[in-house]
Amino acid sequence: MKLATDIGGTFTDLVYLDEASGELGTTKSSSTPPNFAQGILDTITKANLDAKAVAHFVHGTTVVINALTEHKGAKTALITTKGFRDVLAIARANRPDIYNLRFKKQPAFVPREYRYEVEERLDYKGEVLTPLNEADVAKIAAELKAEGIEAVAVAFLHSYANPVHEKYCAELLKKHLPDMFVTSSSDITKEWREYERSNTAVLNSYVQPVASSYVQNLENALRDMGVKSGLHIMKSNGGTNTFELSKQQPIHLVESGPVGGVIGAKAIGDLIGEKNIITMDVGGTTAKTSLIEDGVVKFTTNYYIEKDPFNPGYPIKVPVVDIVEIGAGGGSIAHIDDAGALKIGPQSAGAVPGPACYGQGGDKPTVTDANLVLQRINPDYFLGGQMQVDPELSKKAYTPIAESFDVSVEEAALGVVRLADANMVNAIKLVSVRRGYDPRDFALVAFGGGGAMHAASLAKELNIGKVIIPFATGTFSALGMLMTEPMQDFIRTKVLPGDENGLAQVRDILTEMNTEAADFMRAAGYPEAKFSFKPYIDMRYVGQEHTVRVPADELNLAKLESQFHDLHEQAYTFRLESPVQFVNYLVTITVSQDPVDLSRFKPKAGNNAKPKAQRQVYFEGGWQDTAIYERSDLPLGQKIAGPCIIEEPQTITVVHKGMQAWIDEIGNIVIDTGVGHER
Amino acid sequence: MSANLDPFTAEVIKNSLVAIGEEMFVAMARTSMSPIIYEVLDYATGLTTAKAEILTQGNGVAGFIGVLTFSVKSVIDKFGLEGLKPGDIIMTNDPYGGGGTHTSDVCMVMPIFYKGEIIAFSANKAHWTEVGGMSPGSWTTDSTEIFQEGLQFPCIKAFENDKPLQQLIDLIRVNVRTPDMSIGDFYAQAASVRLAGKRMVELCDKYGAEAVKTAMAMLLDDGEVRAKQALASLPKGTFTAEDTVDDDGISDDPIPVKVKVTITDDEFIVDFSDMPPQVAGPINSSITGTNSALRCLWLAISNPKLQVNEGFFKPLRLIVPEGTIISAQRPAPTSTYWETLLYSLDLIWKALAPVVPHRLSAGHYNTVGAAITTTFHPDGDHFTIMVEPNMGGWGAQVDQDGESGLFCSMNGETFNLPVEITEHAHGLMVDEYCFNPDAGGEGKFRGGRGVIRAYKILHDNGGTVTITLGRHKFPAWGVDGGHKGGANRVEIKKADGSVAGPYGKTARKPLQKGDVLRIICGAGGGWGDPKDRSKEKVLADVKAGMMSKEVAKEIYGVDV
Repeated sequence: MKLATDIGGTFTDLVYLDEASGELGTTKSSSTPPNFAQGILDTITKANLDAKAVAHFVHGTTVVINALTEHKGAKTALITTKGFRDVLAIARANRPDIYNLRFKKQPAFVPREYRYEVEERLDYKGEVLTPLNEADVAKIAAELKAEGIEAVAVAFLHSYANPVHEKYCAELLKKHLPDMFVTSSSDITKEWREYERSNTAVLNSYVQPVASSYVQNLENALRDMGVKSGLHIMKSNGGTNTFELSKQQPIHLVESGPVGGVIGAKAIGDLIGEKNIITMDVGGTTAKTSLIEDGVVKFTTNYYIEKDPFNPGYPIKVPVVDIVEIGAGGGSIAHIDDAGALKIGPQSAGAVPGPACYGQGGDKPTVTDANLVLQRINPDYFLGGQMQVDPELSKKAYTPIAESFDVSVEEAALGVVRLADANMVNAIKLVSVRRGYDPRDFALVAFGGGGAMHAASLAKELNIGKVIIPFATGTFSALGMLMTEPMQDFIRTKVLPGDENGLAQVRDILTEMNTEAADFMRAAGYPEAKFSFKPYIDMRYVGQEHTVRVPADELNLAKLESQFHDLHEQAYTFRLESPVQFVNYLVTITVSQDPVDLSRFKPKAGNNAKPKAQRQVYFEGGWQDTAIYERSDLPLGQKIAGPCIIEEPQTITVVHKGMQAWIDEIGNIVIDTGVGHER
Repeated sequence: MSANLDPFTAEVIKNSLVAIGEEMFVAMARTSMSPIIYEVLDYATGLTTAKAEILTQGNGVAGFIGVLTFSVKSVIDKFGLEGLKPGDIIMTNDPYGGGGTHTSDVCMVMPIFYKGEIIAFSANKAHWTEVGGMSPGSWTTDSTEIFQEGLQFPCIKAFENDKPLQQLIDLIRVNVRTPDMSIGDFYAQAASVRLAGKRMVELCDKYGAEAVKTAMAMLLDDGEVRAKQALASLPKGTFTAEDTVDDDGISDDPIPVKVKVTITDDEFIVDFSDMPPQVAGPINSSITGTNSALRCLWLAISNPKLQVNEGFFKPLRLIVPEGTIISAQRPAPTSTYWETLLYSLDLIWKALAPVVPHRLSAGHYNTVGAAITTTFHPDGDHFTIMVEPNMGGWGAQVDQDGESGLFCSMNGETFNLPVEITEHAHGLMVDEYCFNPDAGGEGKFRGGRGVIRAYKILHDNGGTVTITLGRHKFPAWGVDGGHKGGANRVEIKKADGSVAGPYGKTARKPLQKGDVLRIICGAGGGWGDPKDRSKEKVLADVKAGMMSKEVAKEIYGVDV
């Protein structure tokens, strides 16, 4: 039995797959903060599963991101090279809020009094200029104890080139303070840039005590229930970690939740032969989008928390699936600003009080309310009829906007949906057009509560020909987690010339990194036979700062160069005659799992799909008599024409005029928007 | 509002206009080959109406706010709308006209045609690493006429019929030290203004030119409404400030500067009538820069987070006679104009800080701290050149301490150079990089700390430094009894133990192996009487090493 759990603010989702019977099931239970483990146990109990039969358990958690954003981590210290204690607070000295003459940085997670310096120094080649002063470390250890420090990070200059001093310092600290949580920056990443690496180490330390106790509690509870082995946690890179590794490097869990859906979209794409995918996950407060090219999920090590147009944020140099998030979800509130312009979000009605239609005291017009006013959402079938919503309250909420612009309530609601769509289109452009991709070369996979409502019009706007609304749309993130594999990334920086000499050194480095990766996974208890390695090299033109990540399966100079030129042109629009350099090396090790077999979920055959109802739905141009289908009634392959609405308990799919929709072999809704081009 | 444009379509078009501006901005960073563009973001991109009114502008640095209006105006003044054809791109870096700020800032302007009519202009102004001139990097502290500051492009066509003028490119190639970078930026700028042109045409195809024009007018109206609201919330009256600029880099004479700011119900008037005449050295600033300073401060005191356009600048009125240090005339040198632009900005700030305390801090270290350090790399012996701004302390605020270690008000999304990359790329060793705990900026709330950044020269052949640090002699101002900040300075710890300096400005100063170049920026000004600072805060500062025990005792009266 495989089991995946995804904890959200409101609900804990569970998806399970019984390989023996082929049964794929889902269940939801209320989340139980602060003791989230209870929510997981509740779902297992609710689904009536035999815990002893669980061989593979994957868990997506928000414990790390919550500890960071709520600043509820440990009392943390930092040890740096003498002369550099302020690197963490100077940060990059930039001011994104450029006209604000009262600008304040987001404060460092370690205040100056707990930033200690030791005598030691390496040069950029990693050669020791000044040996580590052991007496300095002993003195600091005593101070850490006296100050009641709970976790400490060690980050020295050039440790990416040679971690010897960091390792020795950590060893000495462990000797002096056996119970202290200690993180060396080079254990998390060997990329250069001292501020980013130091901050990453600090944040790992900061969350380590709380994360390790969370993981330990969950482990104890699962073991008590009878789960014996196969415990995994979702990592931000789209793979998983063991519980043990998660306790040591919790910073890898920072985006543990949201990446599940992207992995699920990739898995679905693999099954139906769609290699180029743009994902759109529309939840209650945000819309998230990501791009998958040729079956490869894009990830980035330029990840920040709490970064926005006015704040620099905190960098975390671990691989994170590249997701762009905007404040436009079902609960996002439409409002008229001071100058009389209509805006949506970022304020959200959340789950409480929720959209106006919930009747829980919210009177602000939300995107969900707009979809109800337009009669796209069926008030009698909200969450499958489990929840009562009142369209009159939605209309009432939209009245001020309608009056302000002197239009009907329906026109106001449609205007808000169009504006929300426009915002989502812009987000998709950020992951595609702005990075040199043409959206027309991609299929749009939409999920989350609101994805299916907006997907078809987004696709049309972007000239995307094909939209896919996957099965299990509402618990899609958890389903994606079920399909993940243990994965770890290793990154190093060493600038080398882009010639045969340089390549010979690259070969040695990658060989060494493969050994390191294999040792790491073996130590974590995984079988060597299942290991696979994926190497990349970050390359650049001599004299340029930015690099391009080039797949390095084949270490052939001519091939690497030509790939680099192509990828550089795609990302930066030009290529140069200049010589190239190798800069960073990346090895991703994956432990392959048996693929989840979804062939059993073949939809029923037939050609007799009939609307379950007709209803007036408001589109551009006014009310239209529209066919309403029930998703589970639709047989395989039969094409139905828009405009129509396909309802299911967790969402609705809107199919516009001129489009066609059908159910594919594994139960996805496919929409042909009629605007695509030959791919 | 046009009868046939519904408010929601209008909103979508307005958002699209803003998105076009953003896309241009990102495209420029993506296509440039110069670190000063893609790392420091020393450029601006934007769209204007056919009448040169800014619709949307993306800035990486605050000092460029609103400048594109003047560039586009200068193009219209010279050619007239009828003199422009589809496929034209005009280029200017004339500091005295609308084009530039100094010769290094090159602006490209493209008329955007739709069905034979100019519906908008796109513009892009960027700092070229090199435009030639007497000193590498094209700026220095000792030029005395513009002819030493590189090529001038006096509002000329760079593209006709979508084709670059090859003779112009050939001319640039032989006149600049880094031709690939400069010509690369030439093409990157052209690509970004064209991208905007393409997007505007798509927008007109989709919604119709009339709808787009109506939405443009609405966008400007929104700005004007917001400006009126902002003005209503500001205190009315006349406010003045005076200060002193260190010197012009040629003589040692201090230069007194003054402003009078008047806020009425309808206008925000900044009167620089008492500014001194232009000077011999390159610190002269142009009227364009002064306009930016005014717009920057206006935004800071009204609503710094706003997406702005021309409408928002309607209440502004600038009074400045010709030929002053902030309205320099040909052939005054302007290559380090920013040091004086910073003063025009800082003067308005100083006049208003006491009356708009919720928007303005006390004075900050007020210099870009621009430095050019050259040496040779110990590995390979090749020549290296490092151009960088330096970080300093910002002023205390009415309710909290000032920020430490930031770039100056004219910068913005400007990033420091990581130590690990500096050592690898430039062959220097960073000897020290930390906050500067020297006295200065004491108050009930204290100024933020400046930064010390020190470089050890490693190569036998040594190197040179050119640097300009304002407020070397006259530190940042305090408010309401808060003390002055600390002075900015550079000093050279010689290998033999002696110290050369401190200096505020120096050009091509030789450095020997083993010398340590120490760039030291001071604290921002304090706010309120130091005696009113809580004892706990003083003790915490001493514990954190941000204040000496002596300062704690002598200025704050706290025994540690």
